[in-house]
Parts: sequence; C-alpha cells; structure tokens
Amino acid sequence: MIDVQLLLTGVIFGLSLGSIFFLMVVGLSLCFGLMRVISLDQLLYYSVGAYIAYSVSLTIGNLWLGVLAGMVVGGVAGLVVERVVFKRIYERDITFSMITSFGILIGGVGIIKHFWGLVPRPVPVPIAAQIGIIGTEIPVYRLVVIAIALFVYFGIWLFLNKTIIGKAIRAGIEDVEHVEGLGINVYRLFSITFIMAGALSALAGGLHAPLIMVDPQMGLEVLAFAFMIVIIGGLGSIKGTFVSSFLVGQVVSIGSLIYAPLAQMVPFAIMILILLLKPTGLYGSPLLKR
Amino acid sequence: MNILRWWSGLLLAFALVALVRAFFPLPFANEIMIFSIYTIGCNFLLGRVGFISFGQPAYLAVGAYAAAFYFYYFGTNPYLGILIGIGAGILVSVAVGPMFVRLRSDYFALVNLALAVIVFYLMQKVLADITHGDNGLWFLTNLSPTPVLDLTRPDQFFIFAFLVGFVVWAFYKYLDDSIYGACCLGAKINDDKLRFLGYDNYHIRLLAFVIANTTTAMAGAMYAVYLGFVSPEITSPSRAADPVVVTILGGVGSLYGPLVGSIAYTGMKDVLSKLIGNWELIIGFVLVFIMLAGEKGIWGTMEPLFTKLFLRAWPAGTLSENKGGGR
Repeated sequence: MIDVQLLLTGVIFGLSLGSIFFLMVVGLSLCFGLMRVISLDQLLYYSVGAYIAYSVSLTIGNLWLGVLAGMVVGGVAGLVVERVVFKRIYERDITFSMITSFGILIGGVGIIKHFWGLVPRPVPVPIAAQIGIIGTEIPVYRLVVIAIALFVYFGIWLFLNKTIIGKAIRAGIEDVEHVEGLGINVYRLFSITFIMAGALSALAGGLHAPLIMVDPQMGLEVLAFAFMIVIIGGLGSIKGTFVSSFLVGQVVSIGSLIYAPLAQMVPFAIMILILLLKPTGLYGSPLLKR
Repeated sequence: MNILRWWSGLLLAFALVALVRAFFPLPFANEIMIFSIYTIGCNFLLGRVGFISFGQPAYLAVGAYAAAFYFYYFGTNPYLGILIGIGAGILVSVAVGPMFVRLRSDYFALVNLALAVIVFYLMQKVLADITHGDNGLWFLTNLSPTPVLDLTRPDQFFIFAFLVGFVVWAFYKYLDDSIYGACCLGAKINDDKLRFLGYDNYHIRLLAFVIANTTTAMAGAMYAVYLGFVSPEITSPSRAADPVVVTILGGVGSLYGPLVGSIAYTGMKDVLSKLIGNWELIIGFVLVFIMLAGEKGIWGTMEPLFTKLFLRAWPAGTLSENKGGGR
C-alpha cells in the first residue's frame, strides 16, 4: 500500500503539473472556441517562454522577471503570427490551420535551436523553501504554481464574464456573425485572444522551466498531452480544459507512483474511452459551423 | 493505346526515380523509396478521404515491430518478415479503424496521434522485456540471404523497393481512377450528398483507413529489413508529422506528390543539415509558405507544366484526375 506521505507528494506534484498543463492548453482552447483554428503554435510560445525565463534568470538572477519577459514575448509573437498567418486562413478548413500552425511550431523550434543550441539547460528554482504538511516536505514553488494557475483561471473567468470585451469574446464563441452584426470588430477580438493565449502559454513555459530541463524539443514533447487535455475537456471550453488538465496531472503523477510506464499511457486510454463515449469531450458543445 | 496511356505516367515517374538512383548514393535512394511508400498512405488519407493523420508513425511501428519480432525471435526470411508486417498492419488498422473513422477530421488527427504515443510508450517502456526499450532490436545478422533478389544487400534491396513502389503506385492509381476513389473524394468533400447517392460513408472511410495504414505498415517492415534494427524512435511523437509534412510538400492528393515530396524532404534534410544544422527551421517555414500559397505543393505546381510539356499530343481530359487535392 502507498503511504500517505508519498501520496500527498504525488497529489501536490499532480496539481502543479495540472496547473502548468492548464496554462499551456487554455490558449489553444480559447483560440479554437472563438476562431475555430487549432493553434499548435501555442506550444512554441510555451518553449519560448521557458527559454526567455532561462536567459533572463541567468543574466538578472530573477526568474519572475524572466517569466514576465517571456509572457510579453509570447504575447507579441502570438500577435505577429496572428496578423501574418492566421488572418489569412480563418475561413479555411480546420485541418488547414492545424498543418500551418504545426509548420510554425517546427520552424520556431528551429529558431530556438539556432539561438540557444541543442543542449538541455537547467533553470534554478526561485523558491527553494519547503514546508511540512502532515510530516511531508512540500516545495513551496509547486504551491505557488498552483496558486498562479487558480488565479489565472479566475482572472479569465472574470475577464470573460465581467468585462465588455470578454462578453464579446464569449458571444463570439457562440456565434461570430451575430457579434459582427452588432458592430463589434471581431478581428480585433481575435487579436486580443491570440495575445492572451500566447502570453498564457509563455507563462506556462516560464513556470515549468525550473521543474524540468529547458530543451528545444520541449514543445513537441508536451504536444501529445496538450492534444489529450483539449480532447478530454472538450475543444473550446475553459472549464473543461481546467478540469481535464488537473485530471491528467493527477493521473500522470499518481500513476507514476504505482507503475511508471502507466503514467504515460493511462491518460491516452482515458482519452480514447471518453471520445468513444462522448465525442465532444467532457464539457465540449456540439460544434457550431461558422 | 488506352492501356499505354494509363501506364505512361507511372513509367515516366519511376524512370525518373531510377535516375535518382543513378546519380545519388544508394542509402539516399533506398530512403526515398521507403519514405515515399510510407507517405503515400498519409497522402491518400489526407488528399482523398480528408483525414489528416498525425498518427501514421503508429502503423509504421506496428509493421516494423511485427517484422522485428519475427526476425529477432522466430525466423530469418526477409520476405516472410515483410508479409508479417503487412498482416500486422491489416490487423491493427481493422481493430482500431471502426472506432477512429467515425470521428471528425480534427479529432481523428488528435486520436491518431494519441495512438502513436501509446505505441511509443508501449514499445519503449511497457513491453521493454521483449522490445529491449530504447536500445531497440538488432537483427541484421539474423537475416538470411534470399535467392533472386537478396534483400540483405542494399543494392538489391533498392530493386525490390523500387518494384514494390511501382506496384503500390499502380494500385493507388487504380484506386484513384475507380469508382471507389471517386467515393472517397465524395466522402471528403460532401458526405451528405454521398449518402444521398446511396453509398455508405462509414465503410468507404474504413476501407480507405485500412488500405492506407497497411501500406504504411509495409513501409515499416521494409525499414526493419533495410536497417536491420528497430527502436521506438520511429514512432516518437516529435516525428509524428513527418508524413504530413512530406504530403503537403509534395502536393496533397496528387499521385506523385509523395515521391516528389520524399525526394525534396530527404534531400533537404541531408543537404541542409550539413549546411546549417537546424533544417527544421527551413522545413517549418516552407510548410507555412506552401499552405499560404494555396496548398498545392511542389508536384501540384509542377504537374500542369509537365502535362503541357510531355503530353501535349494527347486529348485533354485524360489527365485531370488529380485535381481534387487543392481546396
């Protein structure tokens, strides 16, 4: 039997992993909900965020500034890519955006390799302190990550429900043409969503950097997990993304306590099961065609 | 005359491939032959049926590992190994097909990728006792020489791969020309209308899925025979998009797209990786550029020119079967 301390560590680990997954995938989910594009380039902003955090924390010595800088770079990159590439392909088929953004992703990985090289780099943990909960030592940094993710979730919730731009975005997720008919510039909404998505992905990368090694392939490595979370939660649903990120985080973390290879495979088995039972995911709405 | 016309494109294409063999080193020629067989399945799925498959490596691995298990544990005959790979490909795609082909195209891509990941971890970790994990299975010395075409020798392997490629292309050309090929295209473009005409979408897609993935599994088995070893690396998620990239590069849905794409992709990889070290950069942006420029790819752009150049004498309309790719 697994003892309580190990289990508690596992749960905390899973929660922090789920937080990072959530921040990473929420952009993808938002982009799909509003614009009906699958924006795999979010994973590029994730890697870029991690690398900027690495470089800044190496030169200045403060990871949090690095994470902020990464968010700015991620947001700007998102805006540029949206203006240059996605603007031209909004009305095209969904697979089209998938392939195109995959091109951006591997192109971007090439750029990262060019600037930072192939070697994985370690990033120091900014908060080394640990606190004891029921006799278990828990790294504070992981708790901070969880707190940030919860904060972002409620921030997005407030933004979407209480601000006029957020309400317009929510209305756009339901029906873009009506929103356009009300005189709202939907293309500006699209840009705003892309900036948000890019910044959040970069935030995920920056926060994940101290927990893993930063390497050029990191975006491609989490690609499968990102897909899986989006499918389980339902494309376009923030709540679904939130739930499924934490679900997958827990499954990976607790699964690896029981039998290591299980951790990588069970989430995919869950995904296939959910797809067969409910093809739109847990919280996904039936697809509206634009 | 009609029959000659039907075969002429194929013969011309493979004469050009033979030229590649004459001017470029043998490993390169072998690589492009196998890679193009690998890709044509993806090309068929994407261009004809409208399924974008990021999970093609899963079937490649199925074929490769089926052959590898046979060579490592049971027998020595390369031809039999390839047959076993094909059989495994049919089995697996028949098993997962009914679940997958019901899904919409974007979900299909995601689920297929997930399958590739599952196979990867299965081979790397879960079945590590049999597959030796990341070390892979090495069985080059287990292969016994065969009469007529000796597959253990790379130069004769090329002849074999060349012939197989020719047969595969003839088969896919036949499919494209048949009513079934038209049904596939119908399933891609307007499945409601197809159903209205009395065809069964589900079975059309399932058959296409099985055919395409069996081809891919065969390519996997050929990789196993050619390289003499198999490791989980061939199905790693970071390489999952290779066939899609090559398909787009060559031209979606065009018959010779995979050939042109494989030559271009392998060539770029070889040449560029010597020059600048990170060829992904170029591949990625070429991909974006092609998509923005109209999704036609290299062959899709060249094809009208070729038709004009070589086939001017023949009546119009006979070579228009490949127009369905671009949308």
